[in-house]
Amino acid sequence: MKRLNRFFWALAAPIAAVVFTLIFVSIILLMKGASPLSTFQLIASYGSQPENLVAELNQTVAYYLAGVAAAIGFRMLLFNIGIDGQYRLAVFIAAVVGGATNLPAFLEVPLIVITGVVVGALWASIAGYLKVKRNISEVISNIMLNTIASGLIIYLLQPGRLGLKGGLSDNLATPMIPKSGWMPSFHIMGGELYSFAFVAIAVGVLYWVVLNKSVFGFNLRATGMSFRAARASGVNAPRMVFITMALSGAIAGLTGMGELLSHTHTYSLAFPTGYALTGLALALLGRSNPVGIAIAAFFWAFLEQAAPALDLNGVPKEIVMMMQGTVILATVTSYEIVKRITRRQQQRLVGAAEAPRVDAVAKGVKS
Amino acid sequence: MSVAIELKGIEKNYPGVVANHDVDITIAKGNIHAIIGENGAGKSTLMKILYGMVKPDAGTIAIFESPATIKSPQDAIGLGIGMVHQHFMLADNATVLENIVLGSEPMKAKVVVDYAKAREHLQSIIKTYGLDISPDDLVADLGVGVRQRVEIAKVLFRGAKILILDEPTAVLVPQEVDDLFKNLKGLTQNGLTIIFISHKLDEVMAIADSITVMRHGTTVANLVPAKTNKKELAEYMIGGELPSPRPATTKPREEKVLVVTNASANDRTGREILHSINLEIHAGEILGLAGVEGNGQSELIELIMGLVKPDSGSVVTVGLNTQDSTLREIRDHGVGYIPQDRQRDGLMMAATLWENRILGHQQTKPMSNGVWIDKGAAKADSERIIEEFDVRTPSNTVLANALSGGNQQKFIVGREMSGDPKMLIAAQPTRGVDVGAQAIIWDHLIEARLKGTGVLLVSADLDELFQLSDRIAVIFRGTIVDYLDPRKTTPEQLGLAMTGEKIA
Amino acid sequence: MQRKHLGRLGMVASIAAASLTLSVVAVSSQATAAPKKLVGIAFDLGGKEQPGFNQLAYIGFKTFLKTHPGWSEKDLQGNAADTDASRAQRLQLLISAGANPIVVVGYSYENALKEVAAKNPNVKFSIVDDNIDGAANVEGLLFHAEEGSYLVGMAAALTTKTKSVGFIGGVNIPLIQAFEAGFKAGVAKVDPTIKYQSAYASNPPDFSGFNAPDKGHESALGMYQNGADVVYSAAGSTGQGAHKAAFELGKGHWSIGVDADEALYASNAKYKSAILTSALKNVDVGVASFLSDVVANKFTAGAHFFDASNGGVGFTTTGNHLSAAIIAKLNTIKYSLASGAIVVPTDPSKVKLPQG
Repeated sequence: MKRLNRFFWALAAPIAAVVFTLIFVSIILLMKGASPLSTFQLIASYGSQPENLVAELNQTVAYYLAGVAAAIGFRMLLFNIGIDGQYRLAVFIAAVVGGATNLPAFLEVPLIVITGVVVGALWASIAGYLKVKRNISEVISNIMLNTIASGLIIYLLQPGRLGLKGGLSDNLATPMIPKSGWMPSFHIMGGELYSFAFVAIAVGVLYWVVLNKSVFGFNLRATGMSFRAARASGVNAPRMVFITMALSGAIAGLTGMGELLSHTHTYSLAFPTGYALTGLALALLGRSNPVGIAIAAFFWAFLEQAAPALDLNGVPKEIVMMMQGTVILATVTSYEIVKRITRRQQQRLVGAAEAPRVDAVAKGVKS
Repeated sequence: MSVAIELKGIEKNYPGVVANHDVDITIAKGNIHAIIGENGAGKSTLMKILYGMVKPDAGTIAIFESPATIKSPQDAIGLGIGMVHQHFMLADNATVLENIVLGSEPMKAKVVVDYAKAREHLQSIIKTYGLDISPDDLVADLGVGVRQRVEIAKVLFRGAKILILDEPTAVLVPQEVDDLFKNLKGLTQNGLTIIFISHKLDEVMAIADSITVMRHGTTVANLVPAKTNKKELAEYMIGGELPSPRPATTKPREEKVLVVTNASANDRTGREILHSINLEIHAGEILGLAGVEGNGQSELIELIMGLVKPDSGSVVTVGLNTQDSTLREIRDHGVGYIPQDRQRDGLMMAATLWENRILGHQQTKPMSNGVWIDKGAAKADSERIIEEFDVRTPSNTVLANALSGGNQQKFIVGREMSGDPKMLIAAQPTRGVDVGAQAIIWDHLIEARLKGTGVLLVSADLDELFQLSDRIAVIFRGTIVDYLDPRKTTPEQLGLAMTGEKIA
Repeated sequence: MQRKHLGRLGMVASIAAASLTLSVVAVSSQATAAPKKLVGIAFDLGGKEQPGFNQLAYIGFKTFLKTHPGWSEKDLQGNAADTDASRAQRLQLLISAGANPIVVVGYSYENALKEVAAKNPNVKFSIVDDNIDGAANVEGLLFHAEEGSYLVGMAAALTTKTKSVGFIGGVNIPLIQAFEAGFKAGVAKVDPTIKYQSAYASNPPDFSGFNAPDKGHESALGMYQNGADVVYSAAGSTGQGAHKAAFELGKGHWSIGVDADEALYASNAKYKSAILTSALKNVDVGVASFLSDVVANKFTAGAHFFDASNGGVGFTTTGNHLSAAIIAKLNTIKYSLASGAIVVPTDPSKVKLPQG
C-alpha cells in the first residue's frame, strides 16, 4: 500500500502535467480557430507512422543522451549549458580521427566513440576547472565555450586544414570515415534504426547503477545534495564537482555518434545543433531518471516529427514548441506540488511517531 | 496586578496532529514569563498564534484585559506585541538606524524617510531602556549580542509593549547572556512584559518571574522559580524522571588518539588563525574545549581532520600525520565527527535516513565494500540507531528534513559513534536539543569514553563541559591558553579563562 | 480522500489515452486528396520571410505561380536541429501531399535529397547552391556569385574617395567566402593599394549572422570609422544594419547590397540613398526557370550554372548612384566575365589587399 502510494504520486505529476498541457494547447488552438481534436489526431497519426517512428527513435537516442548528460549535471546542481559545444566538438574530432584512420572495425568503432567521449569530457572539464578553482559559474564559461567550439570547428573545417569542400556543394565536411568505422542500422518498419541505440541504453543502465548503487555515485549525489556535508564526510567535494562536469561532457560527446556512425559518416555544416537546451529540458522532465528521460525524449522527438505535418495542414507548427514549453512548466510545477504533498504526509507520520512515546512517558509518571 | 496576556483554552489542530490544546496561560504586566518545553511541545505554535501567524481553532485571547482577535503580525504589532526571532533578520550592509527604520519608516511629506525623526525616537528608546547600541554602526561589524539588542530595539521602535523572545540565548556566550538579562530587567522595570521561550532551565530559573511548562501541546504546569527547582521543571517537561549522566569513573588510557604539536595555521589571506597549538587526547578521555565562539574552534576542528594543513608544527590524528593524509583516510581510520551545524555539515536534508546513515562511512564496511553501497546494511544499521538513540521517526525511509532538530541530532550522534571510532569530535552535540535528547546524547558520549574512544567535546554549554569532561582546554584567539580540571574549577573561573584572563 | 483523487485522475488519464488510440486509428483513413498541380518548396534555416536566398527562391517560386494559373504551392521550413532524417522527412511530406516539382533550398539538404530523389524517381527536384551527381531527377542550381561580387568590388573601388573599403559576411562558410573573394578581386583589379577590412557576423553552426541587422550596423560603423567609405554586405538581412550605418553617417558613405536589388526592399526604403548598388545573385531566376522547364517538359538533370553569361549574376543601378562611366566600365567587364577572359577566384585568401 505504501509502495502503491509512492508509485501513484510519482506518476501523478507527469500525468497531471500532460493533461494540463493538452487542455492549455486546446484553448490556444480554439482561439486560433483550429480544432484541437483533429490537431492532436494529426500529431498522433503522423508520429506513429512506422517510418516516422524509426526517425523518432533515432532522434530520441540523441535527445536522450543529451538529457542524461544534463541530468548528471543536475545531480550536482550544475547547469551544463555547454552540452551543445561539447557534443559538436566531440563529434567533429571523432569524425576527423575516424576519417584519418582505417583500423579493423572492432578497433575503429571504439576508437571513434572513445575519441568523442574524451573530447566531450575534456571540453567540459575546462568549465569544471574554472568552476572549482576560479569559482566561475559553469553557465557563463559554458556559453563562452560553446562559441569558442563553433569558431574552432569552422577554423579547422576549412579545406586544407581538416575539412573538405564537397564538389559543387558549398558544404564543408570532414573526410569520410572508412566502412570499418560504420555502425550498422537495422532495417525495420521501412526505416533504418541506428544500432547506437544499444549503446545509449547501456549508458542509461550504467548511469542508474553507478549513481544509485556505487560508492562513487553516492559521493556524487551527496556532494550535489550538500556540498558541505559531503566534504565533512570525507568526500573531496571540489574534485567531485569537477569530475561530474567532465562526466556530463563525456555523455554529451556521445550525443551525435548515432548520426555519425550509422548515417553521415562525416561531420559537416549540416549537422544538427541546439542539443543543450533540449537536454536540460528533458532532464527536467524526466526528473534525471534514465527511464523518465527516455520517455520525455521520445515525446519530444514525436512532437517535433509532427511539426512539419502540422505546417502542411495549415496549423501553425509553433504549436509544437508551445506544447513543449507548457509541458516543462507544468511538469516542474506539478512535481513541486507533489513534493509538498508527500512532505506533508511524511511530517504527519513523523508527528504521529513522536506523539505516542511522549504519551507513554507521561502515563508512566501518572501511574 | 494587571494582566498583559490571558490565553484560555487555545487549541490548534493540523491534519493528523494536535499542535495545541487546552492551553491556559495568564501573564502579568511587567513580568518576565518563561515558557519552557521540549522541542515539539507546542511552544512555537503557541507563539505563532499570539503573533498572528497562525489562527487558533478554539480558545480566547485577551490582551491588556480586552478580548483580541489576531489575524496577522500587523494586528499583533498594533496590539503592542513584538517578536524577536531566534534567527536575526537584519541587513548586514546597512546601519543600525536603517535596519530599525526598515519597514516602519516615518515619512516626510509621505515621500522621504524622516531619518532625523527616526533617530530621535531611537535615541529615546536607547536611553529609556538602557540598550547599548549606536545608531550609525554598520550591522556587519556587530557581534551577536549587539545584533540581538538591535532586534529588540527594532521591536520597541514599533511600539511593542509585550516582547516575545524565541530562544534568545541559543546564540549567545555566557557574558552576552548576562548582558541580555540585564537589558530584560531594564525593560520590565519600564513596564514592558516579556515572554521568554527557552529550554535552558538554568536561565529560566535565573530570569523568569513566572514559568509555564508545556508538554505535548498543552500547558502542564504554571510555577514560580522560588517554589520549584530545575529537576522538577525537567520532569514536568519530559513527563518523567530525568536521567542523569553517569559520572566517569575509569581512568583515560595511555594511548593517544590525537597529538597536536606546536601547530600554527594561516587562512587564505595569510592571517594567522591558529597559533602554536599543543593538544593531546588519550583514548578513553573526554577533552572539553571551552571558548567564546569564533576563537578558533572551527579552525582547530578542520586542522585535526586534515582539511586545513598546519603551516608549522604537526598534527597526528589517530596515528595519521594530517600533512600527508586525506580527510577520507583520516575518517576511515576511525574518526567520528558531530558537526556544529548539523543541517549543513551533518546531513543530506533531502535524502532518507538510511542514506544519511552511509554518509561518512561510504567507503568502509559494513556500509559498502569500497565500490558498491550495501543498502541492506545501511537500513539495518539505521534501525539500530533509531532504536538505541530513541530517534522518533516512523521509518528509516523518511527524509532527514522531516525530523525535528533533536531527532536529527540523535541520528547524527548515533551514526558518528557507530563502528566505535578511535576518536570522536563532538561540536556542540546538544545545542538546540531538548533535555530528553540531551540526556541520551550525554549517556552515549560517556559510554563511548568507557569503550576507549577519545572525545574532543567542543561546547558553549558550560554545564555540559563540567558534567562530561576529564579535562577542559580553553581556547582564546586561536591558541590554547589554559588546561583546567573540571573538578577543581568553578564556572566563574572558566568563564574568566575564556575571556583570556589567567586564573591565578 | 486520496483514493477519490486517484479515481478522478485515472479517469482523465484513460480518456486521454483513449482519445490518443482513437486518433491513431483515424489517421489511416485520412486520405490525402492531393491537388494535381502542386509545387513544393523546402527552405533552409531562416525561411522565406528573411531577405536572403530562401526569400529569393520564394520570389522565383511566386513568379512561376503567377504565370501558371491553376498551380498551388506548399512550403516547409528548416530549423537548427535538423538532421538528414528530418530534412528527408520534410521532402517526403511534400511528396505525400502531391507536390511535384519541388524546390529545395540550400546545400544542407544534399544527403536528404540524394535519398529522397532516389526513392521518388517521378518527382522532379531542384537544389539551390548544390547538385546531386548522377540523380536523373535533380537539377542543381549553381551560381557564380563571385562574379557579381567582382563587379560590385570594382564599383566600390571606383567610388571610394578614402581608398578604403569593407566587406561584411553573414556566416563564415565557403558559400559566403566566394562573395568576399569576388569582391576583393574586383577591388584589387581597380587598385591593389586600396585598404581592405572584412568581418563575418557569425560562425557555423550559428547561422544567426544572416539575420542580425544590429551586428551589421555595428560592424559597418566600425569600418566607416576606420576609414572605409564603401562597405559590401553579403549577409542577408544583416546588411540592412550596414545600410542604416551608411545612411546615418550621411553623404560620402556607401553601402552595397546583395542577392537582389536591395534598394527596392521596402525595409530599406529609408536607406535607399546610401545603397550604391547590389550584387545580384538571381536565385529567383534559377528557380523560376527550373519550374517552367519542368512544366514545359524541358527538364534536364544535372548542374545548371548561372553566371554573367546568362544573367544569373549582375549589378544594379537603382538610384543612379553609379556614374555612367562606371556603369560602362562594369558592363565591359561583365562581357569579359561571360566570355571567360576573366576568371574570378573563390578563396578570399588568394587575393592580397592592404589591411585597413
